[in-house]
Amino acid sequence: MIPALHNLQFLQPKLLPLAMVDHHHADPVAFPIAHAIEAMSWAGWILWLPMISLVLCGACAALRIRNKLPAIITVLSLAGSFFVTLLLYLNYHEPVTIHLFEWFNIAVGDGNSFVAAFSLYVDKLTLLWMLFVTGLSCLIALYASEYMEADLKSGYARFFAGVSVFVFAMSSLVMGDNLLMLYLGWEGVGFASYWLIGYYYQKPSAVAAAKKAFIVNRIGDLGLALGLYLTWHHFGTIQYTEIFAAIQHGVDAEHGETGGWYIKYIPFMLMLGAFGKSAQLPLYVWLPDAMEGPTPVSALIHAATMVTAGVYLLCRMYPLLEALHPLALPTVAWIGGLTALLAATIGMAQFDIKRIMAYSTVSQLGYMFLGVGVMTTYGGAYHVFTHAFFKAVLFLTCGAIMHGFAGQLDLRKVSGLTKMPGWRIVSWTMFYACLCLVGFPYISSGFYSKDMIMAQAFISHGPGFTALGVIALVTALMTAYYTFRVWFRVCLGPVQYEMGDEHHGDDEHGDDHHGHDKPHAPRWAINTTLLIITLGAIASIVLYYTHWGQDMVAGSSAGGGVPSAHHGETHGFWDDPHTWMPWVASITTVVGIIIAWFFHLAKREAADQLKAILLANPIIRWLPTAMENKWYVDELYHAVIRAPLWIGGHILYWLDMNLLDFAIVDGIAHLPRWLGRAFRPLHNGILQSYAVSMAGGIGLVALLVLFMPRILQWLGGGG
Amino acid sequence: MADKIWFLIPELILLAGVVVVSVLGLSPRKMLRDCLPAVTIAFLLIACVVTPFLYDSDHVSRFHSVMPMLGKYVNMMVCIVGILLALTSAGLIDRRQEASVQSGRAVFDALRANRGEYYAFFLLSLIGVMLCAHANDLIWLFLALELTSLPTYVMVAMSRPSRLAQEAAVKYFFLGAMASAMFLYGFALLYGSTGTIVLTEMQAVFTQQADSEAGINTLGIVGMLLALLGIFYKIAAAPMHFYAADVYEGAAAPVTAFLAFVPKTAGMLAIIMLLSTMGWFSPSGNLPQPILTMLWMVAVLTMTLGNIGALLQRSVKRMLAYSSIAHSGYMLIGIIAGPAAGGTGIDGLGAVLFYLLAYGIMNTAAFSVLAGLERNGQEIESLEELAGMRMRHGLMAAVIAISAGSLLGFPPLLGFVGKLYLFIAGVNAGQIALVVIAGLNSAISAWYYLSIVRQSIMAQPGPQSEVVVRGEAIWPRCAAFLAALAVIIVPIFSWGLMKAADRVTNSPDQLDLLSETQAYQAVKTDSRNP
Repeated sequence: MIPALHNLQFLQPKLLPLAMVDHHHADPVAFPIAHAIEAMSWAGWILWLPMISLVLCGACAALRIRNKLPAIITVLSLAGSFFVTLLLYLNYHEPVTIHLFEWFNIAVGDGNSFVAAFSLYVDKLTLLWMLFVTGLSCLIALYASEYMEADLKSGYARFFAGVSVFVFAMSSLVMGDNLLMLYLGWEGVGFASYWLIGYYYQKPSAVAAAKKAFIVNRIGDLGLALGLYLTWHHFGTIQYTEIFAAIQHGVDAEHGETGGWYIKYIPFMLMLGAFGKSAQLPLYVWLPDAMEGPTPVSALIHAATMVTAGVYLLCRMYPLLEALHPLALPTVAWIGGLTALLAATIGMAQFDIKRIMAYSTVSQLGYMFLGVGVMTTYGGAYHVFTHAFFKAVLFLTCGAIMHGFAGQLDLRKVSGLTKMPGWRIVSWTMFYACLCLVGFPYISSGFYSKDMIMAQAFISHGPGFTALGVIALVTALMTAYYTFRVWFRVCLGPVQYEMGDEHHGDDEHGDDHHGHDKPHAPRWAINTTLLIITLGAIASIVLYYTHWGQDMVAGSSAGGGVPSAHHGETHGFWDDPHTWMPWVASITTVVGIIIAWFFHLAKREAADQLKAILLANPIIRWLPTAMENKWYVDELYHAVIRAPLWIGGHILYWLDMNLLDFAIVDGIAHLPRWLGRAFRPLHNGILQSYAVSMAGGIGLVALLVLFMPRILQWLGGGG
Repeated sequence: MADKIWFLIPELILLAGVVVVSVLGLSPRKMLRDCLPAVTIAFLLIACVVTPFLYDSDHVSRFHSVMPMLGKYVNMMVCIVGILLALTSAGLIDRRQEASVQSGRAVFDALRANRGEYYAFFLLSLIGVMLCAHANDLIWLFLALELTSLPTYVMVAMSRPSRLAQEAAVKYFFLGAMASAMFLYGFALLYGSTGTIVLTEMQAVFTQQADSEAGINTLGIVGMLLALLGIFYKIAAAPMHFYAADVYEGAAAPVTAFLAFVPKTAGMLAIIMLLSTMGWFSPSGNLPQPILTMLWMVAVLTMTLGNIGALLQRSVKRMLAYSSIAHSGYMLIGIIAGPAAGGTGIDGLGAVLFYLLAYGIMNTAAFSVLAGLERNGQEIESLEELAGMRMRHGLMAAVIAISAGSLLGFPPLLGFVGKLYLFIAGVNAGQIALVVIAGLNSAISAWYYLSIVRQSIMAQPGPQSEVVVRGEAIWPRCAAFLAALAVIIVPIFSWGLMKAADRVTNSPDQLDLLSETQAYQAVKTDSRNP
């Protein structure tokens, strides 16, 4: 009965007004909830292995080991994690929670307690995420073993320790069976991200970027923490099984009026956390700057895995979003759609290829949020999965270029990569990844996942979802343009290059085969990794046709957002967005690619001419300028938030120095020292005096004990 | 009798260790003498591993004691911290003689070698602590306490060849004798008032007296007061704390770490044993008012005097000595809260036992750093010598900063968790004022703990710290690293440990031998059905 009701909305699209869907009347879909099992605690090794690797890398750093040992340790332990995940997947029958050990159990008030076990919640959503998280991190660690070799003397072990922390935290985020473990992982990945963005800690811009990432994320984390607290306050538990059971049981029936006014804010709080971690409007500003970190980090943390934590949170908490507030999902959809559009416009006007990829990540994350918001968690999660592969490839190829050209990232300064010896794998894997990113019809994985999201925007009913669909299509056009702008510029065209100014890796292996001014092509670790991940991207197409992804999402807490794939009833071509969307999207994409081809391969000077024309026209001059300057969002935040805080901070600092510190703290701090001086004569180092003091002290205590009742009486009488 | 011996197996293992190390120490071969710490650690490990297998329900039910399960936790805790302490003191004893033998300036003289004796005393003292946990009569308790203390007097004296150490040992011994006399007097009065020296019987007598009109008889109360005050010497609580700073400063850092943990644990166990005869397990569940008043005053005095004493120090060792006093004060909160904390899962005694472990680890970490670095052949001592340590000995700077943070109770380090449990137990027992005072004291203590952190991490190296070099033996630094690692990692498992500490103090009739998972399930069901 319950699934039937849910499907009804899709069967009769014309009957319902194009307004927001009233979720209070739609019962959440039943999905299997995990039950606890005793065995399978070996699954904990997914977490323990990176932890062990962290300790060993720490030991390597402490013992000043200067070879590739930390990389070997990390790659092996992450491979171990991946195989345990695989084993878990093969042994998977139904959702289970696996208890590892007891963690928090604090009694609060009468009868309430705050329980958070260190347990794993394993359903298909968990497995979907863990498979690519552990798999990709293992491969990217392998890539980094070559990429980071310039730092063998300084930070090699530190880097791999950071990667290990990250995988541990990400695993606990995804696998935890309660919100607190998710929070642990959430903060853990935030910390790892800070650690690795600021890896080049002698570079001021890297330090600033690390701080920015950390601080902007704090805003989101505040939301998550509040959401966690409110969830506990309302449901009395933060364990998924119990929350889901309560939701399925019916929130309204049980808590209804007594549930507290705050219940409807829970989804928004959680959302704020997700927006921060996944770089959505208004908290996206940290992600482009995060590219200051080493490129493997950008690929792993800031493209493939960590930034999808927000999507994971929303998928995991999907029943909650659906049930607690009718506007929760539309908000997600709108934020996602607008972020996608904004980031794409910025991406079109950048010149730094890594930064373009960063904006495209923000934009694609926007698509994922849009997918979740328009009620296709399948689309969202599947896009996360496909995106993880092709975006990892894109970043890794950017990294290979940066590595080979001494830090050169400007797309105007490197050209014709396909024609250079040794760069073939890099340029053609990049080509395929670009196809995936733009969603090239049928042969790219991005096509399937993105279509699903865009089609669903036209199917689901919510405030302005159709407009969002159009926005998504426009964004797809832009995506096609800026992606191929990069590829046509860098990989095709005449061979010419200008080396960057970083002496990246040169002093390490420069003496035998190249000097400062020649690019050096990547070697086996980078090439192998690129090929394997590209194969993964191709393989994820197969997963679409086998309905694997759909199956993975349907059997989990995000199952409410998996619409039955093709629901009969519709006849004409334009009736079912799933029918026409592939065509429309394909055309959009190809048009975008052609524009990019024209401006950036066929007639490269035309792009400059166009820009000059735009800049010459006083009416629309602002547009390219604003786009190139990222719509001045950073400056806006600086003026509205940072500057007032800075001024306030200085006022408080002055007050602190002159009023609190001088007048109050110093005064109080001196009191104990004066007291100490008063007692000092007793500690004079003379044995007899100590004995007397002890005896005297005992006498004093005895007297006090003896007279205590009377003293109390006297005090009581006096007061 | 056989049952009693059964639980003494770990002690017997260590006793075998005593014999082995004292013989090995006389060996003319340097290699054998050098492996003494390893042998000590091996015996401690064996004792630690054996312990959990001894406490099956069958044997425990036949073991007459006020707290039959106490030994399990205590043995393992003592062995683990003992291993760290043994690592810390590796390479300390006979350093000068060994060096001259090495360089050929002298020949090895078994009569002048102290190393074997040192480790023998070391193990004997640990045996004393374990015996405290198994005591069921006053004589046994007294002997166990003395077995803990007597070797430490010698260890202080032999710890380094300086007059300071000799002076410290003499002071420690004389004042210790005075304290022993006092608690022995208290024991005599307890015997006088109850007619028995067996703790379980004494418990029965006191329970009976408490139920009667007249209440517990005054002789008993006075006896208990005297016994407790005497034992306060072992835990360095006011007013018996005067020796601490001088003795801790005089002894070498590894021995100081030993003094701060081992006698303190023995003393705490003795206090728990004695108080459990009077009130805790009676129907009312409260200690008699005079005892409570005395404990309260002593706790407040101890932590306050300890903390303000530490404020004035420039010597890190003296500072840590005073901090050791303050920590005894914090632990007394748990004693005052007692075992019955109303089903909230955190009781006072469990918190004390947990805190002992936490304190043992973090304190050892701090002292190991002092033991692992040296200036002009002497271990480092003053704050000036710590300055700018980050530049020259980064790992050690991190360790001492972490251990200072933990001693301060900085979340999420081990000391924070320990203190949190103590404070929760205190609040649960209604001792709000006491907890507030302890909180204020923690704030005061931030001053000097943070000055350690500041000196080692933020300050620039000065003339005194620039000549600080790594000590000859790597082991103290290994101990420091391990202990600091434990300070960071153990908090993750703290709840399980706390449960283990908690279950230990259940009285015989409510003794449950549930497995870990069963207990977990039980707690979970409890929380679901308010």
